[in-house]
Amino acid sequence: MSIEKEEKPPVFPRWSAWYWLLMIVLAIQIVIYLFITTSF
Amino acid sequence: MNYIDWIILFTTLLLIVIYGTWKSRGSVNIEGYLLGNKSLPWWNVCLSIMATQASAVTFLSTPGQAYEDGMRFLQFYFGLPLAMVILSITAVPLYHRLKVYTAYEYLETRFDLKTRSLAAFFFLMLRGLSVGITIYAPSLVLSTILDWNINITTLFIGTLVMIYTVSGGTKAVSMTQKYQLTIIMGGMIIAGMTAFYKLPDNITFTEAFTMAGEMGKLNLINLSFDLSDRYNIWSGLIGGLFLFLSYFGADQSQVGRYLGGKSVAESRLGLIFNGLLKVPMQFVILYIGILVFVFYQFHQAPVFHNQSLKDKAMETSYAREITDLESTYDKVFEKKQAEARNLIGAIRKEDSESIEKSRKSMSEIQEKEKAIRSQVKEKIAAAIPGANTLDKDYVFITFVMTYLPHGLIGLLLAVVFSAAMASTSSELNSLASTSAVDIYKRSIRPSEDDYHYVKASKWFTAGWAVFGMLFASLANQAENLIQYVNIIGSLFYGTILGIFLSAFYLTYIKSNAVFIAALLAEAVILYCYFFTKVAFLLYNIIGCVVVVVVGFAIQFVINRQLKKAS
Repeated sequence: MSIEKEEKPPVFPRWSAWYWLLMIVLAIQIVIYLFITTSF
Repeated sequence: MNYIDWIILFTTLLLIVIYGTWKSRGSVNIEGYLLGNKSLPWWNVCLSIMATQASAVTFLSTPGQAYEDGMRFLQFYFGLPLAMVILSITAVPLYHRLKVYTAYEYLETRFDLKTRSLAAFFFLMLRGLSVGITIYAPSLVLSTILDWNINITTLFIGTLVMIYTVSGGTKAVSMTQKYQLTIIMGGMIIAGMTAFYKLPDNITFTEAFTMAGEMGKLNLINLSFDLSDRYNIWSGLIGGLFLFLSYFGADQSQVGRYLGGKSVAESRLGLIFNGLLKVPMQFVILYIGILVFVFYQFHQAPVFHNQSLKDKAMETSYAREITDLESTYDKVFEKKQAEARNLIGAIRKEDSESIEKSRKSMSEIQEKEKAIRSQVKEKIAAAIPGANTLDKDYVFITFVMTYLPHGLIGLLLAVVFSAAMASTSSELNSLASTSAVDIYKRSIRPSEDDYHYVKASKWFTAGWAVFGMLFASLANQAENLIQYVNIIGSLFYGTILGIFLSAFYLTYIKSNAVFIAALLAEAVILYCYFFTKVAFLLYNIIGCVVVVVVGFAIQFVINRQLKKAS
């Protein structure tokens, strides 16, 4: 039995949603830092 | 420092020790002592992970790093969120399902005892030596600032940590770390706000930001592809990924933190939130260094930030030369201050021509300042042979001691001590776990009861604490020792990661193949270290790749021989 069946993540229906959130937040940060680097 | 600062400092430290010891009383079994009975919620797991990684050196030298070199150091952490995802998917459920106490215990189920023992041995070597540095580095700075004897400072930090870590094990570590991290971040933000509010002319946050940018400090992202330079986005994403996979997946000082989670979900969330918060946290700490930098465009910065060392040099025949250089530095500062005001004026008017003109003048002035500081460092090095003239680690703490109000100075010093204690306690706990479970219980005394192993774990904790303090006092005699210890980490992480990657993902590779491959990988890394100029950050990748590739090759040969034999 997979862990995903045994333990549901909070807030999201699947753990992969949390992983995607982490990647998206990292990507957004990199974009923001790139903007700061080039604009200031 | 006045009496308010001392009261705040000692009260904070005493409360941490008492709280840690009291809250964690009653661990009578090995699971309680080493894993806290797996009772931690995700947020405590997250705080514990962050507090373990962020040692006192983070808070002492990261702002100084930004002050000298800008914010590009942030890129180093970009691989961390990726590592959190990979470990949440693989390591966390595996470690929980197998109910292991240490990461290396898992290796025996996957491979065999000798591979487990080899990985545990590598870990004890690298972490055992680094615990000495975790105590030594902040002790050195604090003893300088407070004018304490370095060995007494080391003994003070080491003993405080030892008391609650020995007494309460992993639970004491986790309980104290949440308060330590709160004190740390609160104190740092207060220091940053103080630097900002002491800026003249009602300079706004945006103006300060723009000024830092014009002076080249907001160099956050470097897109050039150069894996030998750790300060670009690719080194951070790729090299950093391997480093953090190894650190969080195979280093017991971190594995022990999330193994204490109530469940797989709590451990995973702890790692995920670490991935969400770590990069912004580092940004804040670096930006505090930038605020100190902007502050020093309007207030005279010391020509050499390690005041204590400079004072010693002033007692020698070089005093006159250093004084002359300081006078020149003061005159340059007057020009810098005037030009800084011009720059702010130009930024306010959004006059790009004036901004460019001011920026060029400021750059020239910065170069002059750098030259004077270099000369001062040369004089100090000549006055006190063997002195360490790198003063970047003293930039932030000197700012705190000089410009923060009383009370807050005590709090910020508590921050530094707390950070040192938080990391040290984790390291001691992990060394004790590995010593007790992977070596002592597994191979030396396998048939004792739980109470015996708890006692043994406490003795191991105390023993490693004493070792760390002894090593720290030796490090005082030989500055280069620190460099070697930092190198040792790089020499072992790649191989350990290779073993774990093979264990998790590459079922084709069996125990004998991975064991021989690990030994060969170490040989390759040592060759790279002694005979080549390969950058340290690449050692992780090299060690890991060699273990996997050579492991595959050896297993292929073994399989063929077995086939022939049958």
